[in-house]
Amino acid sequence: MELEGKRALITGAGRGLGLAIAELFAQRGARVAIADIDAGTAQAAADRLDGAIAITCDVTKPAEVQAMVEQAVAAFGGLDVLVNNAGIEIGKPLPATSDEEFAQLMAINVNGVFFGMKYAIPALAATQGTIINMSSVAGLDGVPLLGAYCASKAAVIRLSQTASRELRDAGIRVNALCPAFIDTKMVDRLVEPFEAATGANFDDLVAQAQGRLGTPEEVAEMAAFLASDDAGWITGSTYVLDNALTASVL
Amino acid sequence: MSGIIDGKVAIITGAAKGLGAAIAARFTAEGATVVHADIAPGDGGVACDVTDEAQVQKLVADTVSEHGKLDVLVSSAGIASVNPLVQMSLEEWRRVLSVDLDGVFLCTKHAGAAMAAGGGGSIINIASIKAFGGSPATGHYGAAKAGVVSLSKTAAMELRSFGVRVNAICPGWVDTDMVNDRKAEFESVLGISFDDYIAHVQGRLGEANEIAGLAVFLASERSSFASGSAYVVDGGATASLV
Repeated sequence: MELEGKRALITGAGRGLGLAIAELFAQRGARVAIADIDAGTAQAAADRLDGAIAITCDVTKPAEVQAMVEQAVAAFGGLDVLVNNAGIEIGKPLPATSDEEFAQLMAINVNGVFFGMKYAIPALAATQGTIINMSSVAGLDGVPLLGAYCASKAAVIRLSQTASRELRDAGIRVNALCPAFIDTKMVDRLVEPFEAATGANFDDLVAQAQGRLGTPEEVAEMAAFLASDDAGWITGSTYVLDNALTASVL
Repeated sequence: MSGIIDGKVAIITGAAKGLGAAIAARFTAEGATVVHADIAPGDGGVACDVTDEAQVQKLVADTVSEHGKLDVLVSSAGIASVNPLVQMSLEEWRRVLSVDLDGVFLCTKHAGAAMAAGGGGSIINIASIKAFGGSPATGHYGAAKAGVVSLSKTAAMELRSFGVRVNAICPGWVDTDMVNDRKAEFESVLGISFDDYIAHVQGRLGEANEIAGLAVFLASERSSFASGSAYVVDGGATASLV
């Protein structure tokens, strides 16, 4: 199995994309640490997966992120893969986005990724490990109602690129993964505000732009590839997974 | 990734050397049936000049009639030469564009049509990081590779409803004859130490087999939502401005 023997720490892994990634990694032979701000969902997921552990972590708090990494390393004896997946969305026009909402989104989506990388780097240097940061096609362009989210995901790409160069000599690979609209609760939550604000039908938009919704499993497959030794010369890259959404300039 | 492209039928152009040969070897090891196409094929290979539409059409038709289907195309055939634009003859420009861009168009066209008729498939066009910026002393090559990325995106959109995925792989500098045979020319035209340049931008030369794993992933069902993208594999070369 491609990820046999790998030890992976995944944030926001209690549900959604993070959970799908944890499940596939475990299926391919990895031991997974399921980190989530919600202790219940993390434990429920860990209980179902062989060799998995649950860690409660609020990624906006550096001390908690540091403790999360220490817990994973202590449980597994090392760390090979970090997936910075924890993230939230805001589905509102910029003027309707409160200052607090904007700050909270940045704290999770950007600061959380920075803290995750910063505190996991010593452990990953010891194993010549790899970091996968979850960005989005929203990090590549603007999207109405997703201004804060777009900005945060663009920041994730730049952090990943910079880290890839700084960490190359240490043998740590860092990449960003940019999915389009995926069949998750996060996207479900966007349907109503999007249709209300634009008058357009969300399903029609998805069909036109990307054929269909992607599945969490399809995102997990690309994360598993980037985590594997087959991706050994891939670093500093932004891997888009969008069924030709961004291939169009229209 | 043993078995993930088991039973797939793949045409690989430029399969006699370099990246094409490494990808072909890996595809075979993973259980695919590989048609090794090359202008100068080795044992068991099929002769095909990708700039000749009739030959490309025949390559695709023969593959489908012999193996019953076509699942994967890897367009790896490519050439390069070293000359600044102001010294480049139109003939030299056209020769590189002809193989590196026309060839990819012709293979994408005929393989795409066969795959659409057969219910789907995956087209993987080998571009280059040179698609994303200037390409000193290889302006024809850079322009061709930018064209390959663009046509791959167009094909991805046009063929999506037929179940055909189209992606480009953009390698950095890889340890192949194409690169090694031209080191001295690069150094003389650009006035740089090639090894120092490589060490700075991408740490080291890539290995051909480091591109092959990505090609296997893109050929497999594991990448079923990946289409219209240009996947960079370059040791971080293009991640940094300096």
